[in-house]
Amino acid sequence: MGTAPPANFEALEAQARTLLAVFIAAGHEAVAPPIIQPAGVFLDVLGESLRGRTYVFTDLNGEELCLRPDLTVPTCRLYLERHAAADRDAYYSYNGPAFRFQPSGADAAHPREFRQAGIEAFGVADREDADARTLTLVLTALAQAGLRGWDLKIGDLALFDAVLAAADMPERWRRRLRHEFWRPDAFRAELKRLTSGPARSAAAFPRALVDALDPGDPAGAESLVAAHLEEGGMELIGVRSAAEIAEGLLAIAADAKAPPLSTAAAELIDSYVRTRVPAPQATAHLRKLVGKGRSGIAGALDAFERRYMLLEESGLDMSGVEFSAEFGRNVGYYSGFVFEVIMASLGPASAVAGGGRYDGLLKAVGAPHDVAAVGGAIHTERLLAAVRGGKR
Amino acid sequence: MSARLTFAVPSKGRLMEQTAEYLAEAGLRLRKVGHDRGYRGEIEGVDGIDVAFVSASEIVSELNNGRAHLGVTGEDLVRENIANVAERVSLLKPLGFGKANVVVAVPRCWIDVSEVADLEAAAVAFRREHGRFFRVATKYVNLTRRFFSHKRFADYRIVESLGATEGTPAAGTADLIVDITTTGATLAANGLKVLEDGVILRSQANLVASKVASWPAETKKARDALLARLGIEAEPAQR
Repeated sequence: MGTAPPANFEALEAQARTLLAVFIAAGHEAVAPPIIQPAGVFLDVLGESLRGRTYVFTDLNGEELCLRPDLTVPTCRLYLERHAAADRDAYYSYNGPAFRFQPSGADAAHPREFRQAGIEAFGVADREDADARTLTLVLTALAQAGLRGWDLKIGDLALFDAVLAAADMPERWRRRLRHEFWRPDAFRAELKRLTSGPARSAAAFPRALVDALDPGDPAGAESLVAAHLEEGGMELIGVRSAAEIAEGLLAIAADAKAPPLSTAAAELIDSYVRTRVPAPQATAHLRKLVGKGRSGIAGALDAFERRYMLLEESGLDMSGVEFSAEFGRNVGYYSGFVFEVIMASLGPASAVAGGGRYDGLLKAVGAPHDVAAVGGAIHTERLLAAVRGGKR
Repeated sequence: MSARLTFAVPSKGRLMEQTAEYLAEAGLRLRKVGHDRGYRGEIEGVDGIDVAFVSASEIVSELNNGRAHLGVTGEDLVRENIANVAERVSLLKPLGFGKANVVVAVPRCWIDVSEVADLEAAAVAFRREHGRFFRVATKYVNLTRRFFSHKRFADYRIVESLGATEGTPAAGTADLIVDITTTGATLAANGLKVLEDGVILRSQANLVASKVASWPAETKKARDALLARLGIEAEPAQR
């Protein structure tokens, strides 16, 4: 139940050798990060929603550990163990088990234990080139393993960021929208809320204090908050500082005074998020949608277009590829290009492979600064099922 | 033997005393059988009932796996420890004691946070500043997840805490807590406040029936006799 029947063992091993040979030939060193990982890293990076699907346990020393739910974070950790300063590029590949609790029951398409084969590229400065190479290499490996006739879906979270950056609103509203992006209902609700009135009434907060705070003087705000706490006999406990609390109050005060988000800006964001077009038309469509003169969006669109050209130059047939603006919202750590390989025989909920760019993850895992990072992984049991299904 | 009704009552503490008082008001006396510190008993004057003295949290699992037919336990424990409450047990009657609220509490000094929605905004800034999610200390893992998911708050991670939960924010091992409180005095003493919309559950001791225990006619008869003495109507579905 939930694991591949023994008859698949040989076939999976042979398939893994094929995939890894493609990765290694392209310069990706094969690595084997530990299966048992400290739970804290995953839970701090990925949040409580993934904890519900991660096998977490406490060992005899009381240490909270988990069976890795994917191989990307363990590979990031391996890179940082080797290069703590995160100051050089590295190309890795792997093939090994990952574990996820399946809330609606494990089955062949959603096993609780499955093998991921994949690649990661860290510290590569030419992002579009690394994006294109990653996707091309994953597709080469899939083809080498015998897969034919897949559907490819791409997205770009950097474009979403650029669309938000171009809309006229306070930075903290953008943060909130970015933060809600991966939950479509919450995102739409937040967008509507921002257009319809004060984002938050200041009535629930200490009025005199809120009125006295000066947004242009954070240090002054901090000492006002410290004085207010002292006066009220409220001890400053916990990790949050008086400065952070002051920042929170300033945001509340500013929200209460700020004019609502313009309907035009909200409509632009909403129509961007709803965009689904064939990839060859995506650049033109998006340029038309966002208009001219928005230099921030123009930069992100140029990068999108350049990546598209690189993919086309690599010989990839882009005619059947779909661009979806909201695609990629369901994994917290992606920050740019995202892709997914779907087989009609398995359905859209069971992608054979997927990946993308995640420039913020290494820092969250302990790197001293953001590190350019892109990778892709293949769900090997699904790949085998798809290849076999195709032959029948 | 198997047709006898098993009635699980708390084996220790205030909850045990209050359960005994509640039964005594209806003229029912619990009596331990066997040696003094035995865990089995009976109710004087009501036939066909075995009383099992077990801890309040164990009562929930006894009801959930059908080893007990009836039990007295806190609603908080029922809702925390049984995923599909409506399918497994019936809460027959709140008993008016063992009252306590399961609440979300944050440091009082967080004057920029008064509702769960403010927590969301604070969590975004916190993550930017400290590189991690808020940590929520609690023993009510499931109640916490369900409540925050209902409130659309996702930027947290639970650290399980089995004792002295209210001290974890001051100790720095958690940022906020979900815990049980009766008067709020312990929370206040630890520099914490309850969020305005942070009451997850107003709990009290309940008389609870198992839906998965076997209910042959004789067991039902014993149940009806007991409930009649307590002045409680059994649910129609239970007849």
